[in-house]
Amino acid sequence: MENSYVDDVLQVSMELFNKRDDVEHYQIDVFDKEWKPVPFAIQSRLIEVKYLESKKIIVYIRKTDRYRVTYICSSSKIKRKNETTALVVSRICSKIK
Amino acid sequence: MFKNIFKCTAIAATVVFMMSVSSAADEVPIEGNVASKCVIYPTTAGVYGNPLPDTLTTDVSDGGKPPIIRFDVVNANSYKAVITTPITFSSSPSLNDTLAWTGSVEVDQVTDSNMSSYDSNKRVFNNITEFDLTVAGTVWFKANSTVTYGYNKSLPGGNYKSIVVAECIAL
Repeated sequence: MENSYVDDVLQVSMELFNKRDDVEHYQIDVFDKEWKPVPFAIQSRLIEVKYLESKKIIVYIRKTDRYRVTYICSSSKIKRKNETTALVVSRICSKIK
Repeated sequence: MFKNIFKCTAIAATVVFMMSVSSAADEVPIEGNVASKCVIYPTTAGVYGNPLPDTLTTDVSDGGKPPIIRFDVVNANSYKAVITTPITFSSSPSLNDTLAWTGSVEVDQVTDSNMSSYDSNKRVFNNITEFDLTVAGTVWFKANSTVTYGYNKSLPGGNYKSIVVAECIAL
């Protein structure tokens, strides 16, 4: 984590790579070690990343939460389709040590 | 005496200069990026077969197809795979009776023979299966899902969808 341009706010940058051709939107979440949500700010909660593209994302976290933050996760968001299917939502979580 | 004063002044100036240098700190930021070394994507979409009026299943022998999810891991012993089979429909026609769900996850294919222990060492609780990804490489998991409606009750006509959640969690 590094200092951002705002007082008492830190930032973490992450790179999101989309290897799924059936998904174009991802949601970012931040959790503590007990998987409780940690407040954060981001340019857009829902991020559009086309197939085989990568995007750099900056997540802003309060300085008071710096020791709570453990996981930063990206979850795929699936559009509705008219099929009888079992869909797969993927979520990848990186750990901040 | 003048020499001594000069010497003392020189030493004092040196000390002051050194103190000034050590107290003038500069902040050098250290930048870092978080880049996950685990990639997930489904290689086969799941399909529910309808072998009986009250049953939907991904079993191949019943006309279904289980979803297969691929995990690519760069670093060994750095991640665990957590796969959750469905216990509700994400969308369906209106239902007014209970649904009985069963599900399981198993290893379908591996790129390294050392991954053969994944199935035997997996942890299952409720509808969640966890695998420790102890070997770098690629592993494919197959998620099975079956649901039965009420007691010998026919499922209403319409589209049924459920969701398998595949997670790669850093250890």
